[in-house]
Formats: sequence, structure tokens, C-alpha cells
Amino acid sequence: MLKRGLAIITLLIIGYWLAQGLAGVPFGQDKMLVGQYYLDHVKEQTGSVNAVTAVVVNYRGFDTLGEVTVLFIASTGVGALLWERKKRRTAKTEGSIVLTTGTRLLVPFVILFGAYIFIHGHLTPGGGFPGGATIATAFLLLYMAFTMYEIPHKAFEKTEGLVGMGYVIVGLIGLAIGGYFLFDWIWQTWGWGHDNIGRLFSGGFIPIIYTIIGLKVGTELSGIIDNMLKEEVSE
Amino acid sequence: MEEASRASKFAYTFIVLFILWLVVTASLDSQELITGAVIALIVAALTHDVFTKAGLANLHPKRVAYAIAYIPYFLWAMIMANLDVAYRVLHPARPIRPGIVKCKTVLNSDTGKLSLANSITLTPGTITLDVDGENYFIHWIWVPDEVLNAKDDSEHVEKASEAITRPFEKYLRVIFG
Repeated sequence: MLKRGLAIITLLIIGYWLAQGLAGVPFGQDKMLVGQYYLDHVKEQTGSVNAVTAVVVNYRGFDTLGEVTVLFIASTGVGALLWERKKRRTAKTEGSIVLTTGTRLLVPFVILFGAYIFIHGHLTPGGGFPGGATIATAFLLLYMAFTMYEIPHKAFEKTEGLVGMGYVIVGLIGLAIGGYFLFDWIWQTWGWGHDNIGRLFSGGFIPIIYTIIGLKVGTELSGIIDNMLKEEVSE
Repeated sequence: MEEASRASKFAYTFIVLFILWLVVTASLDSQELITGAVIALIVAALTHDVFTKAGLANLHPKRVAYAIAYIPYFLWAMIMANLDVAYRVLHPARPIRPGIVKCKTVLNSDTGKLSLANSITLTPGTITLDVDGENYFIHWIWVPDEVLNAKDDSEHVEKASEAITRPFEKYLRVIFG
């Protein structure tokens, strides 16, 4: 009781303190310093009409590379923590016919929609991470509906590694051509897509990097699901 | 129904996915069409075995026509069902007589059984609880007298199927087999 009371009082103090700090920030007023630069130059400098994507992949590409690395470490960490010599799915009861048939029908649609999200990253909200998470949802559905389902491990682990390297290679090509890592060579050196901003084949290397990230996030989250849904076989 | 060949399944999955792509992009730009075709090919190659059993046979004109006719039929049943439930909720005497009944279906394919289960859940105060082979276990908000007073099990199943599954089955049997 005393502990709970103390926790509530502490939270109230922290909340009041944060509210005081935020009260000084004016609401609804123009306070863009760097932001205005992005909005003014995003189309000519990156070819993307989605400013968020351009910032995340182009202006601040290192952050995204870091995020992908964090996700990769999370996936590897789960794999290392749950490592057993022999593992098997734990589900005991088969799903009803409504669940399994519904899953069969939904899976291709979910995967196609995930691909739609990451390919249109430079045009619509979304991008590699939501698209990849959507694709992983399709595999989660398969895991939930079928007691024996397992992702095709060999293909998944190879894809994961290859697309991870692909991201770095795209950056290294930029280093070779333009002088710094993650330089957008497709847009700035080749000038590819200048005449059709807003159509699908534009946006410099953003669609390529988002395809890479989408595949990487999709395979990685599926791998985490796979690891967590298995348990050791006792013999 | 026997299973279709691999090529037929693949072609059917590709067609359905490409139509979905056209719907979500809502654009006939050549770049979108090319990308959509490539992605639909890849996804169809990965998932056609999961997606369909009958393959291209699903696109038989008679089946498509019945599927299109089924949409307004089903929507009308759904609107009437929701009005009926609203009436039961608002009525001061609350005319509710719930019960679980068993029905038998004549549908063979899994997709047909799924559609029937979903159609039942979305219409007149009925919810599918479980599907086991050809038996449907359905929760009914108002079990009518003739089902309640059925003399034996087979009459009970017959009366309940007559009221719940038959109206949908005449369409779904053509659409899904």
C-alpha cells in the first residue's frame, strides 16, 4: 500500500514537471529550422514526394541503417537466447476449418499488400518497416493457423543476409561514385527519374532501399516468431 | 472436387493478385502495371499452393455470375438481420430465446464451408460456433417453435438447416462446389 502510494505520488510529480516543461513550447506556431529546408528542397534533391521517407533514407540514412542493425541484433539475440539442439512447434490443437481456410485465402493478399507498402515508400505513407511488418504478419497467420507450419528456413536466412549486405553495398557504391556513404547515385549522378517525379519509377534509390528493408524486416520478424513458437524436444 | 494442376493454380493466384493490385493502386500507369505484374508473379509463385485448390476452374463464367449475384442477396440478408437484432434489443419484452442448434451442409469445398460460416455469422441473429466436417454448430438468438418441438435429432437438424443454411447454399454450392 505504501509502495503504491509512493509510486503514484512520484508519477504525479514527474507528470507535473514534464507538463511545466512542455508548457513553454508554443503550439501551432512555425518553429521549423531544419524542417523548412527539407520541405523546400526534398523534390529536387531526392526525387521523393514523401518528405518523411526522404529524410529517413536520404538525408539521415545512417539512422535507418542503425535501426536495421538493431532489428538484426534483436533477431540474432532471440535466436541465441532460445537456442536448443532440437526444437519443434508446440501447438497441440489443430485450428478449425474456418481459421485454416481463412488463413489460406488471406496470406497472399497480406504479402502483396506488404509489398505494395514498401514499393510505394517514396509516394505514400509507409515504407520498408511497415511493409516488412505486414509481410511478417502473413507468416504469423500461418503459424497461428497450422500446427506444423514452419517458414522455409534456408531461403529466409539467406535472403535476410543478402538484403542486409545489399543495403551496405548500395551505400558503398555511393561512396565510390559520390564521395560519401549512402550517396544517392541513382538520382544525383545518373539523373534517373527527373522527368517523372511522383510516378512509381522515381525517388532515386529510395524504392530500392525500401525493398531491401522490407524484405529484411519481413524475414527477420518471421524468424523471431519462429524462434519463440518452438520448444525443446525432450528425448 | 479433385485438385487442379500447378499451372492452373498459379495462373488463378496471379490473376486474383493482379486484380487486387489494380484495386489498391487505382491507377493504370504503365509503371504501376509492370511492377504489379512482377510482384503478383513473385507472390503467386510463393503462395499459389496455399491459396487455391480448384485453380482456374474458379473463374468459370457461371461461378463468377453467381458470385456477383450473391453479393446483393447477402447484403440484403445482412441489413434485415441487423434490423431484426435492433428490434429485439429495443423491444421492451426483449424477445430472446437463445439456443445452440446443429445443421448439416451439402457443401464439399473448404472455401465454401468458410463462406457459409461467415455468411451465417453475419446474418439473422446466428453465430457459427464450430464447423466439424459437414456439421455446423450455430448459436441462434431466437430458436423457433418448430425446431424447439422437433421430435428427434434428425428432424431438428432438418428444420434448422432449412432455416439457416439452405438460403445461402443454393448460391454457394454453385460458387464453390
